[in-house]
Amino acid sequence: MSPTVTRTISLPVPGAALLEVDDLSVTFPTTSGDVDVVRKASFAVQHGQTLGIVGESGSGKSMTSLAIMGLLPNGGRTTGSVRLSGHELVGRSDREMRRVRGDRIAMVFQDPLSSLNPYYTVGLQIEEAYRAHRGGSRKAARAVTIEALERVRIADASRRVDHYPHQFSGGMRQRIMIAMALCLEPDLLIADEPTTALDVTVQAQILDLLSELQRETGTGMIFITHDLAVVSQVADDVLVMRGGDPVEMGTAEQIFSRPQAPYTRALLDALPRIDDPFSERPTAPATTGEGRA
Amino acid sequence: MTLYLLRRIASAIGILLLISLFTYAIFFLLSPDPAVQICGKTCTPDRIDQIRAQLGLDQPFWQQYLEFIRGIVMGRSYGEGASAVSCAAPCLGFSFQTNESVMDMITARFPVTATVAIGAAVLWLLVGVSGGLLSAVKQGTGWDRGAMMVALAGISLPNYFLALLLQYVLVVQLQILPFPQAVPFAEDPVRWFQNYLMPWIVLALGYASMYARLVRSNVIDTLGENFMRTARAKGLPAPLILRRHALRPALTPVVTLFGMDFAGLLGGALITETVFGLNGVGKLAADSIAKNDQPVIMGVTLLAAFFVVIGNVVVDVAYTFLDPRVRVKSA
Repeated sequence: MSPTVTRTISLPVPGAALLEVDDLSVTFPTTSGDVDVVRKASFAVQHGQTLGIVGESGSGKSMTSLAIMGLLPNGGRTTGSVRLSGHELVGRSDREMRRVRGDRIAMVFQDPLSSLNPYYTVGLQIEEAYRAHRGGSRKAARAVTIEALERVRIADASRRVDHYPHQFSGGMRQRIMIAMALCLEPDLLIADEPTTALDVTVQAQILDLLSELQRETGTGMIFITHDLAVVSQVADDVLVMRGGDPVEMGTAEQIFSRPQAPYTRALLDALPRIDDPFSERPTAPATTGEGRA
Repeated sequence: MTLYLLRRIASAIGILLLISLFTYAIFFLLSPDPAVQICGKTCTPDRIDQIRAQLGLDQPFWQQYLEFIRGIVMGRSYGEGASAVSCAAPCLGFSFQTNESVMDMITARFPVTATVAIGAAVLWLLVGVSGGLLSAVKQGTGWDRGAMMVALAGISLPNYFLALLLQYVLVVQLQILPFPQAVPFAEDPVRWFQNYLMPWIVLALGYASMYARLVRSNVIDTLGENFMRTARAKGLPAPLILRRHALRPALTPVVTLFGMDFAGLLGGALITETVFGLNGVGKLAADSIAKNDQPVIMGVTLLAAFFVVIGNVVVDVAYTFLDPRVRVKSA
């Protein structure tokens, strides 16, 4: 952990957005040649703002987020540019990216149970994230951990910190994941389908919690989902993706009231409407990129 | 926890009783009359009756079995009056062949078996776990493929063949090792070590191969878990991710297997001990079967069952410490 690396990435370039992504492509080699799972995606995220990335399975939305983190699975290649506060992330060594992950950009995943290690207490799993970047004693990290758990409204946090993941409910586990992601006060939070595995009432609570924490901390957020209704609640800007291609990008207002691309219109038309629940609804046209994400 | 432990021990005792009943019944029903066997060539019907009475063989099956169990728990005596032979608990009876106490025969040979088992276990854990780990981390490389091929061969090679091969190559051809000869550790530690080295290798190879393959697939499975992605996304250093997040979930199932395998070996490594002429419990079992020496067969069978059942309990209890999901349910 060289301090110069941390400094060069952490000092923002004046005038730069929090995150700028230009022409980001992700390629995987296969036995029948290279396959692009993301093609030339471009977007930006400002401090305190939320970008929603919407698309069906295989649209490349998760791969986009893993590419930003430098966490692509075996063989995945990233081209294009990803700049955090003006600093290029593409092409950095794993060592340098390790300083960015968790500390500057944190992630919350879809399935909180399998995303937590069943063999360790939730406390230890949050503490280790804190200590990996800030060092310090276990005692200090534990205090931060309890505070983080209290912030995501885990009741009796000082006792629950020593419990194991399976002793929590699904919604609580996702709160723990959020506490883990936010304990280092990252500049950017990537939430990859954070509410998909939860039931609807819990989903609403988690969304409220995320926007509340975002207001408090000013964290920028990328919210990835297949659920247009959820995106309409949280996003300032929206990027629609399909089969690895960016289809349309605009403010949430533009996308929902004046969609330009036919695919976006089809997606919106496929949503059930509360004022006309029984009308025949067209389904969104199927893509060929099924199962890529 | 205490309640759990008591329950486990009670069920272990139940299983042991059941095994003893079955073994006793099999020998009672299938084997030729021991009295004739003991009596030898110069035998009279009176003498046979006498022996039967002394051993309790004239009693019905249930009575004999209960006497046998009572002997294990409280000790017993054979015959009555001046000719009575007492046998202290745990009494497994006397050999039909040599008249020695079965318990004494087993205790005399057990150190050899334990030495073979412990040495082999250390070897196979070292080789199997580290080999599997390396293969998993270097998945798909030449090392991985080579190691897995050796492991497959190790599983397929029968012990007796490997034992003869090793003896031929190391002792006869290359003369790296001296001809095996039993020497106590205190007398000549080097010779002692040389004597046990081949049995350890032979016994360990099969297990090491199995463990390497298991560890490899466990580690690869664990590396693909979602919580590994979380650990990387947190920015943890790679060695910590491997050590903390991958190894524990991957190695915990190995504990189960090891407990069972090691316990099984404490009951005697029949083939290996016989091939290398080691005077352990396994060789005792082989010899007693060859001579149809029922009390000894009974004794070594029960000993093996005892270790396996105890090994099971130890593994179950260890699991409540190793896997938090098991711990909380049992509490």
